[in-house]
Amino acid sequence: MVVLKTISVMSRKAEEFINITDEVHETVESSGVKSGLAVIITSHTTTGIFVNEGLPCVETDIADTFTRLVPLEAPYAHAHFLPSYGATGNNSTGHIKSLLCGNNCIFPVSDGKMVCGGAQDIYLAEFDGPQKRTIFIQVIGE
Amino acid sequence: MVIDMHVHPIFYDIICGDKNELAFRQKEFGVWKQSPMSFDEFFAEMDAGGIDRAALLPLDLTATAGGWIVTNEEIAEIVSAHPERFIGFASVDPNRGDAVEVLDYAFGKLKLEGLKLNPAKQKFYPSDSIMEPIYKKCIEYNKPVIFHAGLSWEPDTPVKYCNPTLFEETAMKHPDLRICLAHFAWPWVREMAMLMIKYPNIYTDTSLLYLDSPEESMQRLFTVDMGPRWFERSFYKQVMFASNGPRFRAFKLKRALDKVSMRDYARTALYAENAERFLKGE
Repeated sequence: MVVLKTISVMSRKAEEFINITDEVHETVESSGVKSGLAVIITSHTTTGIFVNEGLPCVETDIADTFTRLVPLEAPYAHAHFLPSYGATGNNSTGHIKSLLCGNNCIFPVSDGKMVCGGAQDIYLAEFDGPQKRTIFIQVIGE
Repeated sequence: MVIDMHVHPIFYDIICGDKNELAFRQKEFGVWKQSPMSFDEFFAEMDAGGIDRAALLPLDLTATAGGWIVTNEEIAEIVSAHPERFIGFASVDPNRGDAVEVLDYAFGKLKLEGLKLNPAKQKFYPSDSIMEPIYKKCIEYNKPVIFHAGLSWEPDTPVKYCNPTLFEETAMKHPDLRICLAHFAWPWVREMAMLMIKYPNIYTDTSLLYLDSPEESMQRLFTVDMGPRWFERSFYKQVMFASNGPRFRAFKLKRALDKVSMRDYARTALYAENAERFLKGE
């Protein structure tokens, strides 16, 4: 059995980490799959999905490291008007941070529940907000 | 207080029920790969930049393209939903026979607060005789006019209609008409500065079509295209903060302007006071 669900998240800052752990668990449990795998995938190129400990200090260190690696002001080639959009890009940092972060995570499903370690929270990482974002949750199993 | 004086509400979902109308707006405005959005999304965007209010601009293309890029009635509908956040402008195609009546209705009944025109898109010169009754109607109601000036990305917009020097006669003839030549009339920034020196009733805004990052573009505008102290010494009462959304994200432009060196009184004027004076007069 393969079940595809989506969840929507509204980010409210240019960059923020949104803890989606509870919503993902509920979505997987509602899928009807008892044993298998759950894959959580963002549908965007300026967001990421990551798994880490849900502590504000850890979030701060991760955010600071991304910004140190990918500073806001640098001579990015993408910083220009895009005729195919009729709008400017100017979100190079979002694209690069998304790449570094990764766009998905995966967990086992057992007895109808997603199995995570005690410190494993799931985040949508917003790198070009505020925007309404869509996340795919595909549950594969029986 | 921060006021964004140049927003096209093309994708506000409460006016996106008709797919053909939305497609017309996108084609005539030249903007793609964006979708209808809720007030919640737009307000999140404004809040991210600390932007309190936004001036919403329609465009009447009845005579030249057979439709509108957002109608006066749609602007009034959006404003009535959130009057605390929006300032509604009117538009009228100067080439339509009932232009003055349309404008009178927009000011008198719809209570819209200014007029938006695009000479290149609507195919007129600012000093054409057909414009005189329109200017007089604006003066009668004490309403300002925002003209598109300089480069327009919209299709079918010859720049010959939008050189800022074409607006000089109108500014001279109507010193009591407040005129904004939007987008800093880019690339004619020096000409724009010349006009502001001569005519205190001429304003401009920061919503130029930028070619680099917002930070690079605003630094260039305020320190290279203009001398680094021109704005706060000579024009601080005539430039308004504006984004030209949905082409550009307002909070990124605001972030870039926050980094431009200027005295506090000039920044306060840029972000809100000039817009308030432009809208209501002294």
